[in-house]
Amino acid sequence: MEGGINAWKGLVAEGPPQSGMAYFSPATKPEEFIALAWFLEDGSRKFYSELVSTLTDRETKELYHELAKAEEHHQASLLKLHGELSGKAPDPGFAGSVIPSGKEGDLMEGGMRVSEALKWAKGKAMTDILELSISLETHAYDLYLKMERQAIDQRSAQVFDLLSREEKEHLERLSSLIEKRMVIRSG
Amino acid sequence: MSILNYFKPVSTWPPEKIRQFLKEKNSGEFNLVDVRTPKEYEAGHLPGARLIPVGEISSRFSELDPEKPTIVY
Repeated sequence: MEGGINAWKGLVAEGPPQSGMAYFSPATKPEEFIALAWFLEDGSRKFYSELVSTLTDRETKELYHELAKAEEHHQASLLKLHGELSGKAPDPGFAGSVIPSGKEGDLMEGGMRVSEALKWAKGKAMTDILELSISLETHAYDLYLKMERQAIDQRSAQVFDLLSREEKEHLERLSSLIEKRMVIRSG
Repeated sequence: MSILNYFKPVSTWPPEKIRQFLKEKNSGEFNLVDVRTPKEYEAGHLPGARLIPVGEISSRFSELDPEKPTIVY
């Protein structure tokens, strides 16, 4: 790449090569990877949903409502994939059955705790919160790409391929939503 | 590595072309390599980039799929 990373104006992930992978270390089967990913997506969904209820700016509320919906869509994709891999009828509670301890979790994409993210977001400007959202989603995208590369079997690789593709679309959508909001505000 | 590889032309792409390429391709269609130090990688890297510091390339190039285009930065 001409100019190296200093010339790059796109998304950048932080952290060492193994960053975030410890979260998935308990998993040994594709169904477990899916369940763990589902909990991360649920954490992000809770974060965005909570922001909708606390923010007062209408446009920002709409944006985060759309982000929460996008996470629900992502969870639905994981539910469908679990059904395909397990051969069972899709069960919305599958994640808690596969990883019971996950129900008590407070993590969201990017490895941040939902409670800490919400505490941090209080009183912050919309642009700061949006930057945090992009940072967390980019971290998730980076993690899923690396997990796919290191997957122990084809089915696990399939799980992370789906996740990384969806995360890529999600990031493009997030960036587009943010740009649209900025155009509306400046127009 | 074959000596003929030393004579293979290497293209330099501007960031905009790389961004478009990454947008259009799936992750399994290319190798993305960061040849900087671990500290530099940790401070910020392209999502999904594999860290192979430049001094380790000769011993680790087998990690890359030679059938796929390789983007390096």
